[in-house]
Amino acid sequence: MMVLVIGGSGSGKSAYGEDCITSLSPGKKKYYLAAMKVFDEEDRQKVGRHRQMRQGKGFVTIEQTVDIEKALLRMEPGARTALVECVSNLTANEMFSEHGIRQEEDVAEKIADGILKLKKAVDHLVVISGNMFEDGRCYDEGTMAYIRAMGRINERLAREAERVVEVVVGIPVAIKVSNAHKSLAGILDIHE
Amino acid sequence: MKLIIGGYAQGKLRYVLQTYDTEDMQVLDGEIPENPEEKAVVNHLHTWIKKRMLVGGNPEAELFKMLERCPQCILISDEIGSGIVPLEAWEREYREQTGRILTSLAQKADSVERVFCGLAQKLK
Repeated sequence: MMVLVIGGSGSGKSAYGEDCITSLSPGKKKYYLAAMKVFDEEDRQKVGRHRQMRQGKGFVTIEQTVDIEKALLRMEPGARTALVECVSNLTANEMFSEHGIRQEEDVAEKIADGILKLKKAVDHLVVISGNMFEDGRCYDEGTMAYIRAMGRINERLAREAERVVEVVVGIPVAIKVSNAHKSLAGILDIHE
Repeated sequence: MKLIIGGYAQGKLRYVLQTYDTEDMQVLDGEIPENPEEKAVVNHLHTWIKKRMLVGGNPEAELFKMLERCPQCILISDEIGSGIVPLEAWEREYREQTGRILTSLAQKADSVERVFCGLAQKLK
């Protein structure tokens, strides 16, 4: 199944996503698809914090900052699950580059297609995404296009996901629960 | 301790004053209680966090120390992490820290509620 995990900065969405995929993965190979591009010391610290968080949990890390579906080429066949961390970075990487800004519709379609390809190819997929829709501010057109692309991607993923969970101050809140995979419901510990 | 969170202008304080018996409680704005055993409603906790960060304090440690002395508080804070990541490093740090502090307060709290359009959703 696919679980979409959404939250703001510092909401605890990553910690929840990691617990979630871990509880879905006994006996399976577990991949961590890291989408963040590291530019400076602050990024390095962030990566360091996340590495520490998942240390000892048995993840195989694949750095995939664009073309997320290509992570499949680096995964072994067999029983496997994956965590995508996170759609916000992936979208920024696909949209903004030295070649300029790509169309929001194209970016949204490409990323959602890529993630849905992953969904088909693994036993369970947990996708972490950001909530950047609620600060009520207006930004330059490039940033607004980025926010719209994120909105589209979240919408499409939420439609295809069996579960959508918003993490608020570290508490997982159910936004969507489908009947599929009911046997797994108990282990996700979601506030409904 | 009760924790109340929500966006800007969602009626969080009004909800608290209408819902809980706060008669013997002080309502503080962007401040935390100083005296032991004091009962207080702390409104705008996020602005207090910001203030402490600006003067190089350790808001998380200070808050937890205060809660040992005053376990009966109601803490109200804006949720500030659900927007675009700010360009300024300091603003990013403030958002991230506030989120982390609220997350650890939520773990300790007896109850956590989110107020949206004046309506409360019980999270814990």
